[in-house]
Amino acid sequence: MLFALVLLLTIGCIAFILSRGTARPEGLRGWLRARGWGLLLLPVAMSAAAMAGGAHGLIPAELGLAVLAIAFAPELAAKLVPYGVLGLAGFGLHLAKRYRDGFTNPVQYVFVHAGPDTWRGGAPPVLLEAGVLFVTGLWLLVRVDAPGAVLIRALAGRWLDNGRGGISAVQALLLVPVVGLAMQLLGPGNWFGIGAVDGLDVAVIDLAVATAALVLIFRLRAWAATVAVAGLLVLGTYGWLIAAFWPAVPGFAYGFSDLGNNSVPSPLWSDALQGSLLLALGLWLTPRVMRHHLAGAPDPELAARARQLTQRVQTLTKTRHDAVDTAVAELRRIERDLHDGAQARLVALGMSLQAAERLFPVNPQAALALVTEAKETSSRALTDLRELVRGIYPPVLADRGLADAVRALALDTPLHTELDIDLPSPAPAGGHAGPGTAGGHAGTIDMPVAAAVYFAIAEALANAVRHSGARTVRIHLRHEAGALRAQVTDDGAGGADPAAGTGLAGVERRLATFDGILAVSSPPGGPTIVAIEVPCALSSAKTSSC
Amino acid sequence: MRIVIGEDLFLLREGLVKLLSAHGFEIVAAVATAPELLAALVDQHPDVGIVDVRLPPTHTDDGLRAALQARAQVPGLPVLVLSQYVEQLYARELLADQAGGVGYLLKDRVFNDDQFTGAIRTVAAGGTVLDPEVISKLLDRHSRTEPLTRLTARERQVLALMAEGRSNAAIAQRLFVTEKAVSKHAAGIFAKLDLAPSDDDNRRVLAVLAYLES
Repeated sequence: MLFALVLLLTIGCIAFILSRGTARPEGLRGWLRARGWGLLLLPVAMSAAAMAGGAHGLIPAELGLAVLAIAFAPELAAKLVPYGVLGLAGFGLHLAKRYRDGFTNPVQYVFVHAGPDTWRGGAPPVLLEAGVLFVTGLWLLVRVDAPGAVLIRALAGRWLDNGRGGISAVQALLLVPVVGLAMQLLGPGNWFGIGAVDGLDVAVIDLAVATAALVLIFRLRAWAATVAVAGLLVLGTYGWLIAAFWPAVPGFAYGFSDLGNNSVPSPLWSDALQGSLLLALGLWLTPRVMRHHLAGAPDPELAARARQLTQRVQTLTKTRHDAVDTAVAELRRIERDLHDGAQARLVALGMSLQAAERLFPVNPQAALALVTEAKETSSRALTDLRELVRGIYPPVLADRGLADAVRALALDTPLHTELDIDLPSPAPAGGHAGPGTAGGHAGTIDMPVAAAVYFAIAEALANAVRHSGARTVRIHLRHEAGALRAQVTDDGAGGADPAAGTGLAGVERRLATFDGILAVSSPPGGPTIVAIEVPCALSSAKTSSC
Repeated sequence: MRIVIGEDLFLLREGLVKLLSAHGFEIVAAVATAPELLAALVDQHPDVGIVDVRLPPTHTDDGLRAALQARAQVPGLPVLVLSQYVEQLYARELLADQAGGVGYLLKDRVFNDDQFTGAIRTVAAGGTVLDPEVISKLLDRHSRTEPLTRLTARERQVLALMAEGRSNAAIAQRLFVTEKAVSKHAAGIFAKLDLAPSDDDNRRVLAVLAYLES
């Protein structure tokens, strides 16, 4: 009792130290925190020592080794912990078996003080604790990434993968208690009076059954659940058989009732009750498990497709959200520009004309000056509108399509530009369009895609002019391998940070609506390369990502 | 002077007709679509065709292409292209045949009717008139490079006005200097840019533009 308390206190302290935030305080607590999971080696060693040294004794040498490992090889200590816990679990199995075989000495098994005065000779509590330790050991193995963790992860990862025919992990895991119950009832050594099988044979048979159960659970989850349910039905029926015909039916122990050690039958109502519970559970689960078999095995291709579609929907949801945001922001900008620009100028124009009208009979000279002013205001209003229209949809892009729009863009750039444009027709090299091309001005590239790529190139060029100090800019624009690719390279100073400005981020969002991507490479010293790629620019199907 | 107008917006077309009639021009045809415009230009052979870039049927650059086609069929046919916006790309295409008789102006230049009718007459006479916005973009392109950086501020002004297609007299009037001063500046510019001097206004414009577009 005292030992269990000390052990609990130790583990509680370790949990407290490990759980306190991420910042590492100085001093003893910091030092302890830095040991991490390795600290758990201490309670493990304490437990082992308590077991080896009898009920109350501790072996200082063992504890000392653990402390040394924790202090000087914390990494190694952490990796040793899961194996220590698994070792304790293994010893628990051995101990439970010995208790069942009539061993009566008291032993401190981790938290439990087992002995003849314990429930049914000490075997069940030790077995229970060994099970908990086994699971904890496996969990720690993965947690500290000790050797062997990969194996556990591979098995559990595949097993925990969702969407395997609707059989839940719990249903498959049911096989563990069912097998346990069956082994207890008709285990080797008790099997139809075969008896007198020695310990090694028993261990081999136990191991084989356990392995088969594990393989079923991990690799064939649906079959594990099926066998578990069938087992429940058989075991439940067996409870009624015991209640009706004992001792004519074979058996060693049925659940909570001990059959083997009693010469007189145990209270039969408890067997009937246990059998009823198992039967009820089995019957309740039967349709749930059978539904899976009736529905047929899940098609892995369908599952993969479902995953793909889910991902696609996520992407589309996000890009649609961005697109709507961008569109609203754009409309607001246009509204503001109209309000402060052309609209205001038209108001001023009207006022000038009004004043001119009033002045005309009195002072024709002043009225004339006002009319001249009105004319200039109208000119400025037009200039404002022209700038606005360029930002909405550049006229050359509407007239001629992407290739010529980029050529026009290059002409308006105050840098030396080199163009390498290869787009599907029509993209008349010299500029003159023949009569045959009328009607196909945007080429076969979708207009929205063309606009997005145009503004992306415009932004890259503007950045080159503003920041790079470049003399020459090269623009590559071509359609190849089913994708529209553009590349803007300048010979400037480089070192551009794409995350710094908002311009390229906006461009990136706009391109994402078409599954397009933008990449910037700008090492210090240059060159700066902005690369743009939009798949499927020629198709109008918006549902596929190609 | 006989004029063909290609403009699809009724208000603007009628406005142009009224304005030009008031200035004594003879409007031989005022049409609303590119095919009609091409037919009118080729058949009527006007002294100047005034053309809106954006025309039916596709409402893109049909007007510009009709003008280019007409000039391909009737070399040197004078056209003055009007647009809500000006593009260097289109200016290049208009100037590409080196035949002169080309104008390219923003629509709002019509507000200044003296300047506008002056431009019509220049184009009719085989001259070249480019919108100041095109020229300022052209100059921007070269503003950082030699030898344009060697020009004085005044010389730049003169260069821009020359490129727009103005005569020495017009430039002198605009800058409030004498014509002699302008020709001195022009000589200085041609020397600095290493261009062969020319007294012919149109050739001078083409030389300057060719230089700027290089």
